[in-house]
Amino acid sequence: MGSIRGKAAIVGVGEVPTGMYPERSFIDAAVTASEMAIKDAGIPKKEIDTVLPIIVVANPLDNANMVCSWMIEELGLGKTAKSNFMVASGGSSSANALKTAVALITAGLSKAVLVVHSDRLGTGLDLASAITQFAKVSTSQEYEIPYGFSQLALAGFLQQRYMFDTGTTERQIAAVVVALRKWAALNPNSIFYQKPITIEKVLESPIISTPVRRRMMNKLCDGASAFVVTSATRARDLTDKPAYVLGIGSRCTNFTVTHQPDPQKAWAPAARDAYRMAGIGPGDIDVAEIYDAFPTFVLMSMEILGLVERGAAGKFVEEGHTSPGGKLPVSTNGAMMAQGHTGAGGGPALLVEGVRQIMGKAGERQVPNVKNVVVTGSGGVGMDFHVEVLGKEV
Amino acid sequence: MSGYNKPLPLITPLSKVFYDACRDKKLMYQQCNDCGEIIFFPKHLCPNCMSRNLGWKESKGKGKIQTFTVTYEAAPPEFAADQPYALAIIRLDEGFRMMTNIVECDFNTLSCEMPVEVVFDAVTPEITLPKFRPAVK
Ligand SMILES: [Zn+2]
Repeated sequence: MGSIRGKAAIVGVGEVPTGMYPERSFIDAAVTASEMAIKDAGIPKKEIDTVLPIIVVANPLDNANMVCSWMIEELGLGKTAKSNFMVASGGSSSANALKTAVALITAGLSKAVLVVHSDRLGTGLDLASAITQFAKVSTSQEYEIPYGFSQLALAGFLQQRYMFDTGTTERQIAAVVVALRKWAALNPNSIFYQKPITIEKVLESPIISTPVRRRMMNKLCDGASAFVVTSATRARDLTDKPAYVLGIGSRCTNFTVTHQPDPQKAWAPAARDAYRMAGIGPGDIDVAEIYDAFPTFVLMSMEILGLVERGAAGKFVEEGHTSPGGKLPVSTNGAMMAQGHTGAGGGPALLVEGVRQIMGKAGERQVPNVKNVVVTGSGGVGMDFHVEVLGKEV
Repeated sequence: MSGYNKPLPLITPLSKVFYDACRDKKLMYQQCNDCGEIIFFPKHLCPNCMSRNLGWKESKGKGKIQTFTVTYEAAPPEFAADQPYALAIIRLDEGFRMMTNIVECDFNTLSCEMPVEVVFDAVTPEITLPKFRPAVK
């Protein structure tokens, strides 16, 4: 099997602020993020021959219209584009979109690919409908729907078992929220910009679904982001700082949470594949942009990625090593917990942030001397696990 | 029982076998007659060997809590009146897993790996749901 190592790169990123924006239309956000990504890349738009929109959750009609080449018309790509098709795997859609883009470029089927996400979970959907809608996805209609599962229960399930298996404390879980909020406080595109939180504040919030407290939950938001992928050769013409795709690894394991295997055993091979392709190990990672939705998943993922020993992630976070100024910055945009949950948008937002860290465009959040960034994604109730290694040098 | 307004399971020719048995207080799962794979959710095609030669078996209804959560707030609207309620994933002794509610107990005593046993809750004349309670010694 051939390796895609260093054959493609992300050359431009765009993102509109995440939060509650009732006046901002779905398509305006999608077009603005795309415009930013294309201009950031400095690529003539006629070179973009493929558009990969990511699944839209809040509005089925917006989703269907993105499937039906809405972006091709909005961006005036109708004379040069070859394909527009949606990549849909929930929270891992961006990971699968990047994988698809790299494969198309490496195979010579595309010159440049635009990946774009927009959604309005904050203002385009009322909270009760959102809870109902998410509660029924990724569960068995025949055998599970009668029992009252929800995304919140999912967070409860994973946190409960993780704390049981590892001895991680509630204070350490709260420390994950605090660390992400520190990053988000530096991120003007985050709903919690300049709004850090203390461990005490998290721990005094009420229990919603044991052992999850209110401030361990994410907030549904509107948001949009986009990025442009092209060949390494073309990337070097466009910029002196492309974010090369050095390694990709993934595993897809289950449908419902009931049948989710031991994450460490089942998903660590995804990380191994990505590192092997990149020719590096976990010790070479400077920044980890970890997909979350809720704090336990950050800790589990740090262990799956081999960044810490199994069961050691909580202590590591509590000691401040993943926070701004720490030795291993994690999720420097604040991730969904602190930037805001935009449906399938948590994934592309982390990829965009990883690219910023490589390209030196992360503003106040910029980590010095970044060479390698690892980015993760996961869809459904934790149905899969995707790992990408981005690098400054091939 | 006509007042039951929470979501009911989708009844298909396959799930009807399962729920008909629940009405008789039997918890059923499947095993592949060709490769021995233990199967749940019930299927027509063995996910291990792709055989269609699958057989039903009756579970003893004993198992352990893999994980659980007691929901106090923000449940799906149909379940709001039940708060707090305990949702769990059970590992049955026969080697399959299912999602369910834990009932007939003080929720504060629940823990991962706690032994549990099945009880049957006839929520409508047609549908009986298997639920679990801490195992009686
Ligand atoms: Zn079989």
